[in-house]
Amino acid sequence: MLLADFGTSYIKLLDTAQEGAGPRIIPTRDFDRNWRVDIATGHNGRKYADYYVNELTALARGGERLIREDCYTLLDCGSRDIKFVRYEHGQVKDMGWNAECGASMGFTIELLEKYYDLDFASLAVPALSFSVTCGVLGMSHIFDAVINGQSESEAVARFVKGIALNAYNFAGKPDRLYLSGGLCANPLFIRSFPCNLVPLGRFVLLEGLKGALALIGEHPH
Amino acid sequence: MDTVINDTMRVGIVGIPSLSIIGMLEESGAQVFDLDEPIIRKDIDAASPYLPQVYCAILRTVMINAMALDLDRIYIDVGPGKCDSALHTATILADLLPGTAIIPTRNQDSVNFGTPLCRTKMPLIDRMSAITAAVRKTKPAVEAPPCLPTAGFWGVPPRDFSLLTLFPDTTHIYGWARCMENKTPDNKELEEHYNPEVPTVFFAQSFCAKTALAQHLARRHPRGLYLDCDVTVGNSAKAKIQAFLELSGVRCAPR
Repeated sequence: MLLADFGTSYIKLLDTAQEGAGPRIIPTRDFDRNWRVDIATGHNGRKYADYYVNELTALARGGERLIREDCYTLLDCGSRDIKFVRYEHGQVKDMGWNAECGASMGFTIELLEKYYDLDFASLAVPALSFSVTCGVLGMSHIFDAVINGQSESEAVARFVKGIALNAYNFAGKPDRLYLSGGLCANPLFIRSFPCNLVPLGRFVLLEGLKGALALIGEHPH
Repeated sequence: MDTVINDTMRVGIVGIPSLSIIGMLEESGAQVFDLDEPIIRKDIDAASPYLPQVYCAILRTVMINAMALDLDRIYIDVGPGKCDSALHTATILADLLPGTAIIPTRNQDSVNFGTPLCRTKMPLIDRMSAITAAVRKTKPAVEAPPCLPTAGFWGVPPRDFSLLTLFPDTTHIYGWARCMENKTPDNKELEEHYNPEVPTVFFAQSFCAKTALAQHLARRHPRGLYLDCDVTVGNSAKAKIQAFLELSGVRCAPR
């Protein structure tokens, strides 16, 4: 079975028939639009799959498989949106999906990294942050700060911290937060959260699709 | 104001005016428009010159309808079964429409008409349509046998009924929509009632005071999800409902 998480910037693929093989990542722009997969989630995934699982369900099912706790909050920060699920006593208690006010955060961070040629591992978490509600609106803070004499790296670090705080607030300010998505690999972003953060990597939704596979069986048709 | 209503008149209602008014309208044969529903197909921003953009989508819809329908009078409930936003909307309408009699009402009817539609098995969208249509009638809803609930929908009839399509037919209706069917919009106890045994979506229109109650009850409910939407229901809201029902072990209606 071919499982796919169709992200806005990257597609994560897993072929369950290839034992021992891990997931593959391909940029969405390189995806052959004639391909078909068996089970998909993510933005645009419905078009290319026989069976589609909505992103919040995939995230939650992934969390159920990866997190050995009854009460937790799991946040996914993607290129285009942020979403979270909160469990209490083993049952889903709250969830949110912010595609507008949390828009384009991951995409913007990657864009800034490339444009300013930054190494996020070497940047310190700044004391202050910008008030950022979405990637697009937050950019103007960076430009203003640079015009006013702040270094580019400091301005971007404040922006990244602002995004982390916004995502943390959106998830309900938990003491401990499990994080999913490509931003798990961004050390500055990880360190900018004001709570105990547990990065789970970018394949949580694929893990959720495995959970869906277990529920629907090998014949999703 | 001419108190006589006749069958040539065009009358709008907002919220749930009391049964005495609805009875009078029924008897007169006047053409009655439920202004809470999107009758005039215009962009919601057409209300913006008269009401703030960040305002209840139902009342913005009322404004668009009222401005376009050339009505003789409008009965607008501003009592405890409605809201202050309606009260202020009534003031604005009276100012904007000098040719239309704007009549604020305070519905405190307390006779229970029953809630069979809220508890029977039928597509949720059909039941909600029937409940809202019944606002213009004095008769109780037709009898319908109750079913065992598998899910709950608490709240008001949404501005965008497509929100209701994902719920299974065995969803019970709670909240103000249940008060509507019971013809007691000011029944606080009935409005706050929910079934803790079934996963329930607690819905309110964005910018409505009921968002506070919806959020509070969702927190108290062992398997409650709070949801608010403005004018139309986006994909993320639909995904939330679908995921919540699926993860709670409820089979969604196919869409």
